[in-house]
Amino acid sequence: MIEELREKLDKDEVTSEELFNEALKKAHQYQEEYNSFVTIMDQYKIKKRADSILTGIPYALKDNFSTSGILTTASSNILKDYVPVYDATVYKKLKQSGAVLVGKTVLDELAMGGTGTTAATGIVRNPWDKERLIGGSSAGSAAAVALGIVPFAIGSDTGDSIRKPASYGGVVGYKPTYGRISRYGLFAFASSLDHVGVFTRSVRDAAIVTDIIKGQDSHDMTSLKDDNKTYLKEVDNDIKGRKLFYIKEICNLDNYKDSNDKELIETLTRFNELLDKCRDQGFIIEEVSIDKQLLEAIYPTYMTISCAEATSNNANLTGIQFGPRGQGNSIDEIIFDARTKGFSELIKRRFILGSYILQKENQEKLYLNACRIRRLIVDKITELFKEYDGMILPASGSGAPKFDDSSEKLSDRYLILENHMAIGNFGGFPSITIPYCFVNNMPVGVNITGRIMEDDVVLNIANKIEELTGLKGIKAGDMHV
Amino acid sequence: MYKAVIGLEVHCELDTNSKNFSASPNTFTEIPNINVSTVDLGLPGILPYPNKEAVKKALKTAMALHCTNPDEVVFDRKNYFYPDLPKGYQITQVTKPMGINGYLDILVNGEKKRVLIHQLHLEEDTASLDHFNNYSLIDYNRSGIPLIEIVTEPCIENADQAVTFLEDLRDVFLFLGVSEARSNYGQMRCDVNISVMKDTDKELGTKVEMKNINAFTNVRAAIEYEIKRQTGLLESGGKVVQETRRIAEDGKTYSMREKVDAVDYKYFVEPNIPPVKLSDEFYQKLMEEIPELKLERYEKYINEYHLSEYDVGVLSSKKDISDYFEEVLSYGSDIELTVNFVTSAILSTIKKLEIDIKDLFITPKMLSGIVDKVKNKDISLDHGKKILYQAIEQKIDPNEIIKKQNLHQINDKDQLLNLICEVMDENKEQVRQYIEDGNTYVYNFFIGKVMQNSNRQANPNVSLEIIKEELERRKNSESK
Amino acid sequence: MIAKEKLKDYAHKLMFDMDDEEYQTLQEEFEIILKQMDVISKIPNISEVNPMTFPFRVDEERFLREDEIGDYLTVGEVLANSKHQVNDQVKVPKVVEE
Repeated sequence: MIEELREKLDKDEVTSEELFNEALKKAHQYQEEYNSFVTIMDQYKIKKRADSILTGIPYALKDNFSTSGILTTASSNILKDYVPVYDATVYKKLKQSGAVLVGKTVLDELAMGGTGTTAATGIVRNPWDKERLIGGSSAGSAAAVALGIVPFAIGSDTGDSIRKPASYGGVVGYKPTYGRISRYGLFAFASSLDHVGVFTRSVRDAAIVTDIIKGQDSHDMTSLKDDNKTYLKEVDNDIKGRKLFYIKEICNLDNYKDSNDKELIETLTRFNELLDKCRDQGFIIEEVSIDKQLLEAIYPTYMTISCAEATSNNANLTGIQFGPRGQGNSIDEIIFDARTKGFSELIKRRFILGSYILQKENQEKLYLNACRIRRLIVDKITELFKEYDGMILPASGSGAPKFDDSSEKLSDRYLILENHMAIGNFGGFPSITIPYCFVNNMPVGVNITGRIMEDDVVLNIANKIEELTGLKGIKAGDMHV
Repeated sequence: MYKAVIGLEVHCELDTNSKNFSASPNTFTEIPNINVSTVDLGLPGILPYPNKEAVKKALKTAMALHCTNPDEVVFDRKNYFYPDLPKGYQITQVTKPMGINGYLDILVNGEKKRVLIHQLHLEEDTASLDHFNNYSLIDYNRSGIPLIEIVTEPCIENADQAVTFLEDLRDVFLFLGVSEARSNYGQMRCDVNISVMKDTDKELGTKVEMKNINAFTNVRAAIEYEIKRQTGLLESGGKVVQETRRIAEDGKTYSMREKVDAVDYKYFVEPNIPPVKLSDEFYQKLMEEIPELKLERYEKYINEYHLSEYDVGVLSSKKDISDYFEEVLSYGSDIELTVNFVTSAILSTIKKLEIDIKDLFITPKMLSGIVDKVKNKDISLDHGKKILYQAIEQKIDPNEIIKKQNLHQINDKDQLLNLICEVMDENKEQVRQYIEDGNTYVYNFFIGKVMQNSNRQANPNVSLEIIKEELERRKNSESK
Repeated sequence: MIAKEKLKDYAHKLMFDMDDEEYQTLQEEFEIILKQMDVISKIPNISEVNPMTFPFRVDEERFLREDEIGDYLTVGEVLANSKHQVNDQVKVPKVVEE
C-alpha cells in the first residue's frame, strides 16, 4: 500500500526505479494470463523535483485517458494507432506529483461494457480465478491492482465501471462527487454520467490518490471548486451516530425466498452480518423501502441515457483527424469504412440503440423519459440523504461470474441488485466499493454512497467499515507467488 | 399578381479574443491550422467551456433586436457527419435560444418596415474546406468561432427590404460592437428562403432555399432572379420545385439538389454544459451596455436636434462618428456649431489622414472647447477651424494655441474704434472715396486692414458696424 | 419487432455497417431492451417531471469562461494524427459541396 511504499522510499530502503522495475516485471509476468495492459511502459520516467506522497510510486492508467506521446486506444480498433498530443488533467497531476506510470490498462471497448471481455486486445481475466471475468469497464486497472502490480490505478466510472470490477477483484474502487476530479482528457462515454476514480487496496490509499488528483480545472467547466480538504486527514474521524440506510427491495432476504441461488443468499447473509458489526461500532443503520418500479427503471434509464450520449460523443471517430484512415473514393466511403472496421459489433449495437433513442419520434418516450426517471431517482435518494449520511448496499449479488454466465437480463436480481450503483452516476454522489467478504472463494464488495460534495464523509465511513472486514490490503497476486 | 415571401437566416461570427468553447484565438488568418485547440479538433477527451463574452454578445444582440431572452443558458448538440465538423456534432441552441420573437425596424425608401425575428441563437462555426480538382483540404482555424444565427419570419417582400435589413442588421452588429461583420471574410453570411404566391392565395408557395451567400449584392441578385423565375414558372402554368439553389457569377440561380426528407439531427442538451440561470443583475448590466442604435439616433437627430437630412445621414450612419458627435454635445456645446465642425473639418480631416475618428488628436472634449469659444464669440468660426487644423497638425491642445497666439476675438468697441481710427488715418484716400463718391466698397478694404492689423482678432461684424459709423461721422464732420 | 431494414438504415446513418448475423442479434437485443424501457414509460405522471440532464445544479460563478486566449496546438500537433496532409491541411477525397 502507498504509505508503506512511501516509508520505504523515504528511508531509502528502496528506490522508485526499483519499484518501477518490480512493477514492470510483474506486469509482463501476468500479462499473458490476465491481460491487464494495452501498453506497458519501457522507460522509467519521473518528474524531477517532485515532492508529494506519490513521488516515486508506480501506478497504472486506464487506456481511455489522453497521454501525450503514449498510445491511447480506449481498447478500440478505431483508435489503435492514436498517439495523443495532449495530457488528461489527471495524468498531468499525477506526473507533477511524481507518480510513475507503469502502463495503460485494458478496458471494455470505449468503456462501454461491464465485463472486461470486449477490448480489441482481448479479454481480461479475474486474478482470483482465471475462469471468471473481472468486470468492467475498468477491467485492466482493477486486475492490475488486484494482482499487486501497482498499488493504485486510475479508472473511469459511468454506471459502475470502477465499483463493479473493484467488487469482483477484491479491491477498493472509488468515484468521488461528479466534478471533484476533472474529466478533461477522459475519452467520453456518457458525459453527464462519466466520473474519474481510483482503484487501491485500502480506503486510506483511495483518499491519498484523490487528494492529489482532485480540484478545479480550467479545461472542465463541470469540475468543482476545490473543497480545500485533505481526505486522508478525515478518514479516521469518529463515526459514532453516522446514519446509513440500505434498500429493502435490494437487500432483504425475503425478496429472494424462491431463489435457489446459494451465492446470492450467502452474499446477502454476509452483508447483514457486516451491518451488525457496523452497528456495534456505533453506526445507525436502517432499512428503507423504495418503490420497486423506480428501482427496476435504474438499468433501462442508465442504458438509455448512456447509449444516447455515447452515440454522439463517439461521432468524432471517423479516421479523418486521427485514427486509421478508411478506404474509399469519397469522403463518406472512407468514414464508413473506418467506422465499420473500427468498432466491434457490441459497440455498433449500442450506437444504433442510442441513435434510435434520440430520434425525433422516440426522444420524448425514451430519452426524455429516462432523464425524468433519473430525476425521480436522484430526488428520492437526495431526500433520504437529508436524514442519512450514506447508503450501504452490496456491490453485487455474488463474486465475479464465469465467462459463460448467461444470467437472465430481465430478472429482478439483474435489474436491481446488479445495477443499482448507477444511482451514484445519476446524481453524481461520491461512491466507494470495498471488499467485505468471500463467497465461493471469490471476493465481494460492499458499496457506500454519500451526499454530493461530502467525499470526506464517504471515505471516513468506508475506512471505518474496512477496519471491520479484515480484508484491507488483500491482493490476488499473493496467491501466485 | 404574384408576390414574394422571403425569410432570411443570417450567420454572423462574433468578435471575441478566444473561441466559443475553447481558449484558442479567434482571429482571421490565411495560415492554415494555427488557431486550433484540442477542442476545435474534436480530439477524444475534450470538453467545451463556454466563453462569457460570446454569451454576452449574443444576448446583447438579441436584446437590441427586442427579443425575449431565456431564463437560463442551455446549449444543445446537433448531430451530423460532415468533414468540416470534427466532433461529429455542432454545439448550438434549440431548447432555449438567446432570443425569440424580436424585430428590427428598417427604413426602406423612406418607409418604415418591421422585420420580425423568429429567433437568435449562439453556436460554433465549422472548419473550412478548400476544394481542388480531386481532393479537399481541411483547415480547422474557423472551427469553434462563436457564431450567432438570426432567423427572420417569412415577412420580407422584396430584394430592397432584404438588402436593407441585412445592411441595418450589420449596423446593429457594428453599433453593438459584437462583430466586424465583414462579408468578404465570410464573417456575415446569409441563407435566403423564397417562395412566390398569388396575392389572393392563403397558403405559401413552394419554398426554394439558397445557402451561404456572402455579398449583399448577390442576395439582391438572387432574390430578383428567383422572383422572376418562380413567377414566370407559375404564370406559364408550371410548378416550383422544392430545392436548394445557388447563385452563380452570371447573377442567375442554378439548382443544386432537390429537397430530400428532412434530416433528423437528433438534438439533445449538451451534457457537458450544465444549464445555468442568469440573474436579473446580469441582464440589467447587459441592458445598460446597449447603445442607441442607428435608427434611434436617426430619429433623435431629426426630431430633437432638427438637423438636415444630409447631416443626419452623415452623423448617424457610423457609430464612432455618432458617438463622437454626441459626446461633444454632452459637454453642453451648441448643436448647430458642433454639426458644422464635425461634418466639415473633423470628417474631412479623418478622411484625409485615413484614420478612425477615435484616433483623431482632437478629442470631443477639445472640440467642445473650441465650439464654446466660437459660440461665445471669443473667437470667430474661421479661427476656430484654423485652430482645429493647427492643433491636429501640431498635436497641441487647441486651448494652448489660443492662449499662445492670443487669438481671443476683440469685441470691445472702444478698442476696435481705436484700431479703426488708426487704419483710417493711415488710408485717407479710401476715406475720401467714401465721403466724396459714397463708395461703400471701402468697407471691405477697411475690414481687411483692421483684421490684418489686429492679427485677425477683431470681431468682423462689430468692426463693420463701427467702420460704417466712423466713416459717416467723418463725412458729417467734414461737411460741417 | 423493428424491421432489419430499418436497423440497417440507422446503422448507415451512423456511418457503419454490420453483417446480417449481427443485425439479427441486434434485432433480438432491441426486443429485450425496448421491453426494459417500457418500464420507464409506466412510471405514473412521468411526463410532468422535468428531465434531468446533469447530476446536480451548479452555481453561476463557475459557469462562464473569461474571454482569454489559453493553450492551443501547434500546426504539427494538429496534423500529428492525420494520415494525409497537403500544405499543413488535412487532405480528404473531394467533398461535394452541399
